[in-house]
Amino acid sequence: MKIRQDSIATAVGLLAVATVFAAAGWLRPGTVQLVTFVLIAIVLAQSINVLTGLAGEISLGHAGLFGIGAYVSGILARGGALDPLLAIILGAVGGGAIGLMLSYPAGRVREVYLAMMTLGFGMVFYEVIREWQDMTGGVMGLSNVPSVVLKNLSLLGVRIDGGDYLRFVVVIAAALLLILRNVSQSKLGRSMVAVQANAVAAASMGISPAGTKRLAYGISGVVAGLAGALYAHLVGYLGPDSFGLPRSIEVLVISIVGGLGSITGQVLSAIAFTVLPERLQAFAEYQFIVYGLILACTLVLMPKGIAGLLLPAPRFIRSGSKRRADIATKGAGEAAPWFLERPASSSVAVRVDNVTVRFGGLVAVDNVSLQIMPGRITGLIGPNGSGKSTLVNVISGVYRCTSGAVHFGPRLISGLSDVNIARLGLIRTFQDPRLVPSFTVRENLLLGRSRLWKHSAIAAMLGLPAATDDEGAALRAAEAVLQQTGLTDVADRPVETLPYGSMRLAELGRAIMACPDVLLLDEPAAGLSEPEVARLSEILRWLKTGGVTVLLIDHHMDFIAGLVDEVFVLDSGRIIFSGEIEQMRKDPDVVAAYLGSEELEHA
Amino acid sequence: MNFFLTLVLTGVSVGSVYALIATGLNLSFWTTRTLNFGQGSIMMLCSFGFAFMVTNRVSLPVAIGVCFVVSALIGVVVERLTVRPALKRGGGSMGWVVSTLGLGILIQGLAAKFFGSQAVAFPEILFSVRDSVRIAGVAFSLQYAVVIAITLTVILSLELFLRHSRLGHAVRAVSEDAEFARVQGIPVDLIVVSSFVASSLLAALAGLLAAQIGGTVDSSFGFDLVLLGFVAGVLGGMGSSAGALFGGIALGIITKLVGGYISTAAEHGIAFALLMLILALLPNGFFGRNEVRRA
Repeated sequence: MKIRQDSIATAVGLLAVATVFAAAGWLRPGTVQLVTFVLIAIVLAQSINVLTGLAGEISLGHAGLFGIGAYVSGILARGGALDPLLAIILGAVGGGAIGLMLSYPAGRVREVYLAMMTLGFGMVFYEVIREWQDMTGGVMGLSNVPSVVLKNLSLLGVRIDGGDYLRFVVVIAAALLLILRNVSQSKLGRSMVAVQANAVAAASMGISPAGTKRLAYGISGVVAGLAGALYAHLVGYLGPDSFGLPRSIEVLVISIVGGLGSITGQVLSAIAFTVLPERLQAFAEYQFIVYGLILACTLVLMPKGIAGLLLPAPRFIRSGSKRRADIATKGAGEAAPWFLERPASSSVAVRVDNVTVRFGGLVAVDNVSLQIMPGRITGLIGPNGSGKSTLVNVISGVYRCTSGAVHFGPRLISGLSDVNIARLGLIRTFQDPRLVPSFTVRENLLLGRSRLWKHSAIAAMLGLPAATDDEGAALRAAEAVLQQTGLTDVADRPVETLPYGSMRLAELGRAIMACPDVLLLDEPAAGLSEPEVARLSEILRWLKTGGVTVLLIDHHMDFIAGLVDEVFVLDSGRIIFSGEIEQMRKDPDVVAAYLGSEELEHA
Repeated sequence: MNFFLTLVLTGVSVGSVYALIATGLNLSFWTTRTLNFGQGSIMMLCSFGFAFMVTNRVSLPVAIGVCFVVSALIGVVVERLTVRPALKRGGGSMGWVVSTLGLGILIQGLAAKFFGSQAVAFPEILFSVRDSVRIAGVAFSLQYAVVIAITLTVILSLELFLRHSRLGHAVRAVSEDAEFARVQGIPVDLIVVSSFVASSLLAALAGLLAAQIGGTVDSSFGFDLVLLGFVAGVLGGMGSSAGALFGGIALGIITKLVGGYISTAAEHGIAFALLMLILALLPNGFFGRNEVRRA
């Protein structure tokens, strides 16, 4: 089904490219120019789509990035200083560099601050090009840029007319759409959506939220710069008013109406918003009022735009990778749990020494020391508010401890970021499942693979075999995990449509995908039905056989009792018991903490 | 030396308007952690409308009254129609950034349609441009002095209100934890709406003062001022009144000095460079509290 959708989109796209290519020769010059404008608008809209649609970051100054590309390319190519083709490339690079610069504080500040940065950048860019007369021509503008309109454009020494330029632009736009589809359907796009959905959860799988945002800003900058450079050599004249706030608003409107996240939606919307003002005088007159209305209402009333109405939801796994995985699975028969029979480590897996956590005056964890032995399931129980989750947050690096130390194997990890701790192989889950709601189970599982990817970002963008093979291997691993968690039947359904228990199992599956050495599970049985709890126990035994060390936090006494090798009891931030579960039931301190033995028996 | 002093005094005056804008942004930031990206259009509508009414012989008190009533209503609209639905939908800051900006653009577009896009002269309500006193040998415009005095009074009374009145305590409770405040019986929704109304009123006041100093208004007035107000807020630490005052005045002085000694064209550029620098080096500003990242 999905393969068919992808093929249809690709076929329609290729047909459109071929038609434009063939028609470029005999269309009227005015139409040629309009079609070229449409293509440039499509490229620019894609730039917003990467940043806002995938990574969830808003740009209110995209005209600035567009303008950087236009002015860099225009200035460099003027008077024959540089071949326009090279100038266009440098224009795109310039846009990317500024995009990266804007994203520099990413990960340290609220996302809205970055939106404000882009707004400020757009305004400053507008003023700089107005004032820097020697370079940009100031308010008079930069004229005489080698271009189609002035009939003085040549690429690599070959003279180019309007039709040729249209062919050039359509090929670039098509190539770009393919690359951006690869970005979207690879570890890159999935990471961006994961960071948008929940940055803390993304970090818990080893995806760096800051790094991911920077990548999105960088790619978005390159694409916007490219659009600007193509624009410069179409019109031949660059004036500040083409790159002010209205342009930024227009791009944002196009992208939001098209449907954030959908490449095809962007294309449709860019066509509509470029052709409409040309044909409808009334639209041009009320343009700004209409844009204001659209922005004020669309995200609330119609958040998925045109794409949400007309198209199937975008998917984030390439059909090529899926085919690769299917073929390999058929060849090898049953997929084996790939991480079983790991060399058992003899040292302590996790050692917590004298850890104290204070929030203001409140001591949440008070001088706790404990050791989690490798290859075993260790329980951590305690009443509500006893500090269990805080302790998990300290071990996994979400909180810093006020004093004390945490070691993972021989390595000191207190002080490392949550991203780096996850990358070392210490993986945690959350009390509330933090999946990407719009992703299918399979797509969510692939997120767990983040710390293990072997292919580069470039390979992912270009869809090179290195990327396809790696994704294929990950999909085979996902198949095994789906079987183990009993989610095979719902593997391709968005998790937001699944019952709570399935979400929890999917989250556990995602953690397993990371091949963890140590797994911290925060109340995995909460909210599960009886059969689901049984399934969970089975998975945990399977993990233990595979040599995975587990720290299990739960209230569910029967569930814990049947699984754990050793148990720690926390009360008011202190460890009040450690040892075997049978002895725990008789321990007076534990009984007192739980207000009588009854709760221990039946909880 | 006289030139320097003139620049500093001008900077303090302009900066106090930035501080007022930042304080307006702080109000909604306290209660909902949101900022009205369309705040500039309220400043524009108020000062443009005021100039329009006064040139058409509406009396000053009536004109000012109409401005504040309209701004307050816009504050309600911002909260009800753009911020609340977006927050309800969830999905991070994207929704409300876009919807508040959209409402701002809509107001700007309507104003341009109604008033035209030509700049108009702003009437002199607080003394005239020529009225001045001499401070340490330099002429200091009385308009500037009044702007500083009004700003200080407003920010100080706001801070006193928050610290010493029951309602002020309720606002701070909502700021700490809205859900907990609701459980305690605090009328959270009312306080949130009020914060947007107050925020719009401060924007209106800031708009009138900025227009008085600047002399003219047009339909694009206000957008860059909000950005400067935001820089002021970040410089001092978003959410802090003292920070807004410090950040605003520091920003005013820095931009005027740069404008005087280097180039007036570089004024906004330097503000933006400052924003990047602060966000990169000191993301909580000079007075801001460290915002703990919640798991």
